[in-house]
Amino acid sequence: MSNVVDIQHKEQSPPLPSNQETLLEVKDLKTYYPVKGGFFRRTVGHVKAVDGVSFSLKKGETLGLVGESGCGKSTAGRTILKLLKPSGGRITFDGEDITNIRGSRLRERRKDFQMVFQDPYASLNPMQMVGDIISEPIKNYYPRKKAKDIKQEVMELLNRVGLPEDAYHKYAHEFSGGQRQRIGIARALALKPKLIIADEPVSALDVSVQSQVLNLLNELQDDFNLTYLFIAHDLSVVKHMSDHIGIMYLGHIVEIADKKSIYEEPLHPYTQALISAVPEPNPKKKKERIVLKGDVPSPENPPSGCPFHTRCPVAVDKCSTIKPELKEVKPGRKVACILVD
Amino acid sequence: MAEAINDTSITKVKAQKSMSPWAVARRKFLRNKLAMISLFFLMTVSILSFLAPYITTVDITRVNIGSMSLTPSSEHWFGTDKSGRDVFTRLLYGGRVSLLVGISCTLLIITFGTLIGALAGFFGGIVDALLMRFTDFILNFPLLVFVIVLNAVFFGKLGGVPVLIAVISVLGWGGVARLVRSKILSEKENEYILAAISIGSRPAKVIMKHLLPNVLSTIIVQATLTFAAMIVVESGLSYLGFGVPAETPSWGNMLAASREPDVLQNMPWIWIPPALTLVFTILSINFIGEGIKDALNPKSLR
Repeated sequence: MSNVVDIQHKEQSPPLPSNQETLLEVKDLKTYYPVKGGFFRRTVGHVKAVDGVSFSLKKGETLGLVGESGCGKSTAGRTILKLLKPSGGRITFDGEDITNIRGSRLRERRKDFQMVFQDPYASLNPMQMVGDIISEPIKNYYPRKKAKDIKQEVMELLNRVGLPEDAYHKYAHEFSGGQRQRIGIARALALKPKLIIADEPVSALDVSVQSQVLNLLNELQDDFNLTYLFIAHDLSVVKHMSDHIGIMYLGHIVEIADKKSIYEEPLHPYTQALISAVPEPNPKKKKERIVLKGDVPSPENPPSGCPFHTRCPVAVDKCSTIKPELKEVKPGRKVACILVD
Repeated sequence: MAEAINDTSITKVKAQKSMSPWAVARRKFLRNKLAMISLFFLMTVSILSFLAPYITTVDITRVNIGSMSLTPSSEHWFGTDKSGRDVFTRLLYGGRVSLLVGISCTLLIITFGTLIGALAGFFGGIVDALLMRFTDFILNFPLLVFVIVLNAVFFGKLGGVPVLIAVISVLGWGGVARLVRSKILSEKENEYILAAISIGSRPAKVIMKHLLPNVLSTIIVQATLTFAAMIVVESGLSYLGFGVPAETPSWGNMLAASREPDVLQNMPWIWIPPALTLVFTILSINFIGEGIKDALNPKSLR
C-alpha cells in the first residue's frame, strides 16, 4: 500500500535508550476459553487462545503484534486491558500488578489504558450521538465537571482527530468508516490514557483511508505521549507504526525484535514465511516466496512440542517433542526455535 | 484523500438537522396507512371507554325489569340485555376494564421480563443460570388452571380486577424474559459494549444506555403483542366466569351472556357489539405492532 499513498514514515529514530521506564510488562500471559460439553455441560477442554505470551513495552514506544487470524493477538490485547479474564501469568502496568485487580480499583486504572477497536461499525453505539459517545468516558470519571467544559473538551478532541465540529450532534451511521474510526480514536483519547491498544484499527478500512488513520495515530502518539500496542495482520501496516514487532502463532510469540531486524533478517521460519509474503513494489527484484502448507492447528488441541512444527518447512524430528522457549539470541532479539542459535 | 475533501464540504454546507434512528422510525410509522387507521381506532375506543361516565348517564349496575331484552332503539342504541341493562353503556364501561387489565398486565410483564432478561443476558454465568431456571419454573405454571384455582381460593375475599392483573402478570413474564435475554446476548457481542466497559461505564449504565436502547425495538413490538394477548386472556377468563367478577362489566363478561342458546340465537345485539369491538381492537393492536416492527427495521423501506 505504500506505493498508493504517501505515508509519513515513522522517523528512523535511534534505538531508544534501554534505561527508559517500562510501562507494560506481560509475563507468561495465558487466556483459555473453556469448552463445555456432555450432558452436564462440564468443561471438557480449553481453547488456548493465548498460551504464554511475554513481552515488555517501554513508555512512548510502539509494539506491533502480528499474526494470522485466530492466533490470539486480539485476545491478548483484550486480556491485557482486563476486558477478558487472564487464565494465568502476570500483567504489570505502570509498576502495578493488574492481573487480579477488580471492582473500583480496576475501574480507576482503566483511565490509563484504552482501546481502539477493529470494526468501526460495531464499536459505536448506533443510538448515541457522536458528542455523547466521546463525552461518556469524561462523564464517567469526572461526574462533577460542568457540561460546558465537557463539551469544550469534546470539541477539541473532534478537532484533533480531524472531524468537523457539527459531528457533535450527528449519529455514527452518518459517517464513513474512516470517520467512524476517528470517533473511536477520540473516545479512546478522552481520558488521556498512557497506553492505547489498537486492535487492527485499519483492517476494516479502504486502503486510501488506512494511511490517513495511521498518520493520525502517529501524530497523536507524539502529541499525547502515548504508548501503543498495535495489533495487525498486515505486515506493511505494522512496519509504518512499530518500533518493535512481535510475531504470534497459535497463542505463542515466536519471535520478537526491533522492526529492522524482523524485516531484514527474520530468524524464525514462520517469520521468514510471513516476510516472504509481503508484496514487493519493485517488480525487477526477485524474491523467493515461502508457501506454508496445511492449516493452522486447532488451539483446543495444539501440536506437541513446537506449535509450528506441523507446517514448518525446516522442522526436524525433535521439533515435535521439545517445546522451544522464547530466548534471547542476540541483544534485543528473542526467538522461540530450537534451530536458531 | 477523498475523505479530507469530504470533510471540508461538510463544514461548508450547513448540514441539516440529523435524524436519530427513532425519528427515522417515527416517520416511517406515520406513513403506514394501516397502522395509522388502527391507531385511530384504538384511540377512539380508549377515549370513549375512559370517558364513559361523561358519555352515558345510565347506571350500569341497575337491573331494570321493565326493559328486559329490548331490541336496539333510539333510547337504547344497542338494546338491553336480559337483566334490562343498556348494552352500549356496558360496552363502554367494559372497555375500561378490558383495556385497563390489558395495559396493566402489559406494563408489569414487560418491565419485569425485561429486568430479568437483561440481568441474565448481561451478567451470564451463574446469574444467568439461576434467573433462567426461575423463568422456566414460572413458564411451567399453567396460567388458566392457576387463575381458576386462585379464584376459587380467594372467592369472595380478595377477588376483583387487581387480583386478576397480579396473577396474570406474575405468571406471564417468562416469555418476555427469554426474548430479552436472547436479544441482549447477541447485542452484547458488539464491540461498543466492550468499549463502554473500557471507558469505565458501570454495569447499570451499560445496560440502560447501551444495551436496552438497542433492543428496545424488539421490546416495544413484544409489548404490543402482549397487550393484545392480555385482552384475549382477560376476555377468555371472564367468558369462562373466572376473570373479572360478574357484576363488573368487561367485554369478556358481556360475551359470557351468549352462553345461553336463547341469547346466541335470538338476541344478537347483546353479544355482537362486544365481540366486534374485541376483534377490531385486537386486530388494530396487532397492526400497530406490525407497523412499529416495520418502522424499526432498517431494511424495510415502507
